[in-house]
Amino acid sequence: MSTTELTRPVTRMPRQRRKVSVTTIVIGVLLAAGAFATAFPFIWMVFASVKPRSESVAYPPALLPQEPTFEFFQQLFVELDFGRYLVNTLAIVIISMAGLLLMAAAGYGFAKFRFPGRDGLFFLVLVTMMIPVQVTMIPTYLILNGMKLTNTLVGIALPTLVSGFSIFLFRQFMATIPTEVIEAARIDGAGEWRIFFRIILPMSRPILAVQVVLTFIAGWNSFLWPLIIANDQRLYTLSVGVSLLNQQIATNPSLQMAASTLMVVPILIVFIVFQRYIVQGFALSGLK
Amino acid sequence: MKRTRLAAVSAVAIAGITLAGCSADGGDDPAAADSLTVWVMGDSSEHFEQLIAPFEDESGIDVETVAIPWDSIDQKFTTAVASGNGPDILQIGISKLRTFADSGALLSLDDSSLADYPNLASSNFIDGVAGDATAIGGEVVSIPWVSDTRVLFTRTDILAENGIDAPPTTWDELRADAKTLAGRGDGQYGYYIPQWDSALPVVMTWDQGGDIVNGDGFIDFDTPEFEKAVDLYTGLYADGSVPTNSDFDQTQGFISGVAPMLVSGPYLAAAISSAAPELDGKWNVSVLPEAADNTSLLAGSNLGVWGATKNQDGALKLLDFVSDPANQVTWFGLDGQLPTAKAALADEALTADPLVAVYSEQLANSRILPLVPNWDGETGKALLDALNAIVLTGADRDQTLQGLIDATSSTSVN
Amino acid sequence: MVREDENLPHHHHEAMRQRIAPYGFIAPAMVLLIAFGVLPIAVALLVSFTDMNLAGLGNWSRIQFIGVENYVKLFADAAFWQSLGNTAFFAVLGVPSVIILSLVIALALNRSQNRFFRMLRSFYFVPAITAIVAVALVWGYLYNTQFGLFNYLLSLVGLPPVPWLSDPVVVKFSVAAVAIWRGLGLNVIIFLAALQGVPKEYLEAASIDGAGSIRRTWSIVIPLLRFAIFFVTITTVIAWLQFFDEPFVLTKGGPLGASTSIALFLYQKGFSSSQFGYASAGSVVLFAIIALVTLIQLRARRADVDY
Repeated sequence: MSTTELTRPVTRMPRQRRKVSVTTIVIGVLLAAGAFATAFPFIWMVFASVKPRSESVAYPPALLPQEPTFEFFQQLFVELDFGRYLVNTLAIVIISMAGLLLMAAAGYGFAKFRFPGRDGLFFLVLVTMMIPVQVTMIPTYLILNGMKLTNTLVGIALPTLVSGFSIFLFRQFMATIPTEVIEAARIDGAGEWRIFFRIILPMSRPILAVQVVLTFIAGWNSFLWPLIIANDQRLYTLSVGVSLLNQQIATNPSLQMAASTLMVVPILIVFIVFQRYIVQGFALSGLK
Repeated sequence: MKRTRLAAVSAVAIAGITLAGCSADGGDDPAAADSLTVWVMGDSSEHFEQLIAPFEDESGIDVETVAIPWDSIDQKFTTAVASGNGPDILQIGISKLRTFADSGALLSLDDSSLADYPNLASSNFIDGVAGDATAIGGEVVSIPWVSDTRVLFTRTDILAENGIDAPPTTWDELRADAKTLAGRGDGQYGYYIPQWDSALPVVMTWDQGGDIVNGDGFIDFDTPEFEKAVDLYTGLYADGSVPTNSDFDQTQGFISGVAPMLVSGPYLAAAISSAAPELDGKWNVSVLPEAADNTSLLAGSNLGVWGATKNQDGALKLLDFVSDPANQVTWFGLDGQLPTAKAALADEALTADPLVAVYSEQLANSRILPLVPNWDGETGKALLDALNAIVLTGADRDQTLQGLIDATSSTSVN
Repeated sequence: MVREDENLPHHHHEAMRQRIAPYGFIAPAMVLLIAFGVLPIAVALLVSFTDMNLAGLGNWSRIQFIGVENYVKLFADAAFWQSLGNTAFFAVLGVPSVIILSLVIALALNRSQNRFFRMLRSFYFVPAITAIVAVALVWGYLYNTQFGLFNYLLSLVGLPPVPWLSDPVVVKFSVAAVAIWRGLGLNVIIFLAALQGVPKEYLEAASIDGAGSIRRTWSIVIPLLRFAIFFVTITTVIAWLQFFDEPFVLTKGGPLGASTSIALFLYQKGFSSSQFGYASAGSVVLFAIIALVTLIQLRARRADVDY
């Protein structure tokens, strides 16, 4: 098993099947039906965001708007301090990406090394997923306050910089990397971090792509910490800005749909861009 | 080669992060003497800035408005209390008043501290929320600001079609009218009782001439007036006049005519006007029907001062400014929220609108819910659970009510 | 002559480096996790033995130690037990549904790499990224008894309306359905990524042998996905035991507590009334349940092959 074999990427299937098999077509149809059903509420949301208020209370319900209007999107851009919130949100996303590296390293450490305390520490990782966020709110705020990080972007990004979920995910995937490869590199004299950057990370591309998408989603939708840690609106993110439009009792459904559509489109774009990396696997022969 | 590149990238990243950490920290203002921070809920903050612009010019105080989402005020307030860093002034929804007052984080606003500020005298505000009406443990920690109430909405066209010429003026009439209207057919109702509305049964009790708080300040449901209110509440269900599903939509129900009578607030009027302009002239609002009285719910928001504020004088000046009836009228024009100053409510600019005239009239006879700890989560919830159990699941009325009385009799407004 | 003594210090150095290397890898992340994730649990444990509320938070001298009183109050509350039962129901219904459905969908999506299939992936992912506020609005509208789409469709075929969100039994299924719908996307993606590690050669070889597609999938692919299935199972169980968003926005736990989960109960009884001591006690109990269930899963896994 040479290294060249391991790094050969899987290309699209060479011309083995000119005809798509019947089973595949059947599956495709079923999947499409399922996909439509799954995405239907989302489609409804998009159409609802351009329905004037009178149509949003109409009965019987109609999917397509009769008089589409972009007034709610307009309202969003006018009333939301959109530009500033966008910058803050993107800044948090970028800072969060730094956390990715830390989590990949931790995942690798747990996956491919044996060391005293490993199982206990790993359980601690899982444990952080087991408490409601309200419980963490006050202690975290006090810690950040003590570090004088309140009202800063770093302070906002810090509590969610690493997550047990992502470390767990990395660990599971990296555990499947053949140890022989690592051993071979060690024998060749490579240092541990070098192995990490030059072998482990490239081989983890699918899961890295997944994590990039997940981290983007989390950063993009970040709400609680920007709200609490910011002392003024200058650090609010898009999610916080959008929630400002929720009135106490009265709801404007079309406005909220417009806001939600706005928030979801960039995530969708990021996903579409990155999904090819998720599924463009590498031929790892002998992989268990 | 790759290592240096990696190091360079990391260095840039770290630099970037440090810069980000430094640059956003514009909020720490040591010169507190001529600045104020105000927490305003929801999307009203921009309008608020417009409102106080003249105040800033005149007083030289720099006011920073921070918008807080309605759903998140708890988290914001909690972290502020935990760290001791709060705003100078904050908007307090009346339902939150007890909790915030109990935290000890608000400044006590007794008559002596307010003596210098004529607009803050309690006689200037509507009775339901003035002065001691919002005192907790004898202490006042907030000033009235904006109000909200509940009035009767009726689809005059549907009522007329069914032989009812005017909205009902007594609760008995309402019950009878609702029955008539429900007789229009399957899936048609006469009235709507929101299953989440803990204020409605209390309002019904008040209107029977009673109260749910006894002389010692304890919650007391063991009264004949409450019994009558329960009769009315359960009677509407028994007549088949109200829908029994919990997800009934008020706005759609009214617009479609399925529920042509409702008790609701000004927000509904705004929703109907914008969602169904074709119904103009076919619906109206009127003051609540009465039995012994027609007292309604008084909701809304007050303004409180942070106990540890560094600019108490400035804060009180600002409170005085927004309590000026002229400014309360301006605020209504900017943000659509009803004033609490009596003079403002009587102002022509408001009463010219027939709807507002009704709200004004009703506000003069409105009360706030008892200021017990956690009304929404405990007393109010227990009340709703008991009533809903009786009307929806057929629980034994006497037993359930006795359970309610026992569970709430030790809750106090003090 | 072999100069072994020269190799010795080299080996020793290597061994040392290898021993401390893992700590280097995990340290930065663990520091952050412990500070922001583990420490709060310890704090919650402490606070659960006090009567801390907002007043106490601002002035620590007002906090009183009350021993296990919060726990006693908790276990004496019928609503707590109801929420416990609801949560168990949700978990038993939701976890297998999510795991099986997302696995099936991922396997189906992996069938082909052509553009059509690639497009379908986005459709399945969309529920997972839509804001819960929008989800609540849309589904609340779909489920609405009088004006909702589902009952409208039923009325078109002459069926009576279903009280999706107001019947105490149906509501559990309705709320769980929304959560299953939302939970699919992420797990489908994870399974898809995992499936990339299944060498095509294995599948090819098996089909040449004449093994049917399902047999192939069951005997070859699924065992190869063990690590991903393990991950999805653990995280899905943890997520469903902490079920909160969907009942909160759709029904607020109603009707009469029929859809209240433990997390929602804690939120309503504890956090939103600032009864932090009580809320902490409940959180500790919830944490203990989740930790126990997870430990059981971990132990069961260890009995399996150590990969």
